[in-house]
Amino acid sequence: MASNNGGPWGGGGGRDDGGDKDRGQNGGGDGGRRPSEPQLPDIDQIVKKGQDQLRVLMGGRGGGNGGPGSGEGPRFTRNTAFFGLLAVIALWAFASFYTVKPEEQSVELFLGEYSQTGNPGLNFAPWPLVTVDVIPVTREQIEDIGVAQGTRGESGLMLTTDENIVDIDFQVVWNINDPAKFLFNLRDPQATIRAVSESAMREIIAAAELAPILNRDRGLIANQAQELIQITLDSYDSGMNVVRVNLDKADPPREVIDAFRDVQAAEQERDRLERQADAYANRVLAGARGEAAQQLELAEGYRASVVNQAEGEASRFLAVLDEYRLAPEVTRKRLYLETMEQVLGNVDKIIIDEQSGGQGVVPYLPLNELRKSSTAGGNN
Amino acid sequence: MRKTTFILPVIVVVIAAILSSIYIVDEREKALVLQFGQIKAVKTDPGLAFKIPMIQEVVRYDDRILSLSTKEIEVTPSDDRRLVVDAFARYRISDVKQFRQAVGVGGIRAAEDRLESILNAQVREVLGSDQVTSNTILSSDRANLMIRIRDQARARALPLGIDVVDVRLKQTNLPEQNLEATFARMRAEREREAADEIARGEEAALRVRATADRTVVELVSDASRDAEITRGQADAKRNNIFAQAFGQDQEFFEFYRSLAAYRTALQGSNSTMVLSPDSDFFDYLKSDQPK
Repeated sequence: MASNNGGPWGGGGGRDDGGDKDRGQNGGGDGGRRPSEPQLPDIDQIVKKGQDQLRVLMGGRGGGNGGPGSGEGPRFTRNTAFFGLLAVIALWAFASFYTVKPEEQSVELFLGEYSQTGNPGLNFAPWPLVTVDVIPVTREQIEDIGVAQGTRGESGLMLTTDENIVDIDFQVVWNINDPAKFLFNLRDPQATIRAVSESAMREIIAAAELAPILNRDRGLIANQAQELIQITLDSYDSGMNVVRVNLDKADPPREVIDAFRDVQAAEQERDRLERQADAYANRVLAGARGEAAQQLELAEGYRASVVNQAEGEASRFLAVLDEYRLAPEVTRKRLYLETMEQVLGNVDKIIIDEQSGGQGVVPYLPLNELRKSSTAGGNN
Repeated sequence: MRKTTFILPVIVVVIAAILSSIYIVDEREKALVLQFGQIKAVKTDPGLAFKIPMIQEVVRYDDRILSLSTKEIEVTPSDDRRLVVDAFARYRISDVKQFRQAVGVGGIRAAEDRLESILNAQVREVLGSDQVTSNTILSSDRANLMIRIRDQARARALPLGIDVVDVRLKQTNLPEQNLEATFARMRAEREREAADEIARGEEAALRVRATADRTVVELVSDASRDAEITRGQADAKRNNIFAQAFGQDQEFFEFYRSLAAYRTALQGSNSTMVLSPDSDFFDYLKSDQPK
């Protein structure tokens, strides 16, 4: 197949040799190109020289023919031809072998038609029949979407289902899972993944409410977006694989972010008020518990003191009573006198003999005045 | 000698002829073979093919999926709110012959112009149709709308030899003029929320304080009651103790207790007693004999 297709070049040289089949088979592809290279000098000469060289190269029969013609010429041309051929082969090999790095794969096209995918390592693609595209497959490529881009700085603004606006920046990380599809199915894969990602994110955001987007649904949205982007890319047979979607930013737009901060401040204010009230409650309740305990303890103390006092008094009385029973008259008299002694000893006393005054005590009231005048009168 | 000089140009011409009579169609391409502007052959499979040199020429078209983004347009859904919408389409040239006939020499660029106007028309038509409101666009029904736009655009683009693979909406935003109003509404909503937060905080704080105050009163009064009960029990006990002790000799108790009472009651120098010398205490004040 290869040598047949090489015919246009190889055939020219071959026919020139007058149907030398051996030569045509062996060196058709390479040797054939030589005649057309140095066209400027004498074409005939070169062609003839070429014939000789080839004949020599082909060995036995060719050498036999040219042998009688010249002794030196063939030897010189033989070397040149040999090295020339080597150089051509080396060049050809250089163009045909290629390496694929670990993160890459290659796509080989045989005459424009997809033939195979090359894996990392040394690969062979015979030039010029097979052309090769080497593509970084596993390397992750990153698209930032929504980040302020040039003229349209607000491209991250998206409308939510409750008609709020949210500012979303995200990253799509992708690689290639089928290099052939990637190469053949999309003209502009990068622009496609950008557009698909933006569309997918806007679709998801348009079906979501603002509040959850800002906090708890972030992971969910990234997952949904990844899924949707992947489905869309698959529908294009794009050979692209979305590795992950990072939701960098999901914030209220700049114009209203202060209001959102105020809400946060209010939430903290609310928290503060509640905590203050809690602190008050704790303080007051502790005080009340203390007071209650104090009252109870005081009452217990009262009980102890009253009972003890009563018991003490009772016991004292009983002790005295026991003694009294032994000698009632004397004890009674003694107690009376002792008490009166003490009482009257401390008290101002006015002793009035009713019999001598004749009118009793009453006329002398008020007694305090009486006492003063009596002391004054006593002086007189 | 003569032979070779004759043969060589022939060879060159032959090579040139062969070279110009073959062409390679890449995996990414489709090709048309034109003969004086007339379409002679269509080559859709990749590989090697032949044509008549000089007379026929090959025109290649991209067989990959091509992209097209529309400019922003304002649409008016049936609830009369305006939305700024842009879309993008993915399409491929499905029928090169038809494509060439429809588009002519303008190629892809001419096709894009036509396709964009088709897309804009379909976007307007679908998003402006009866049941579609801005709420529908801003909901999960959006996917269905996109499918409708795609199907209609596909039908319209088919005569161009173009297969519309996908149409997706990108932006569905409010026009600039409405943006400020929306921001104001969002701010107002937040302010309401903030005020609500603070009010709820105050409410909760008051509630907590009131509960605390009530608990304080309950605790203290509870304790007072228990304290009074204890005191009462103590007093009862005292009475009981006294009753038991003093009850043993009531007359002596009266005497004894009276004496104790006199002692405490008549303490200090603020008391003045007016006494008669006839009282028992003075029995021996006037004589050494008992009365």
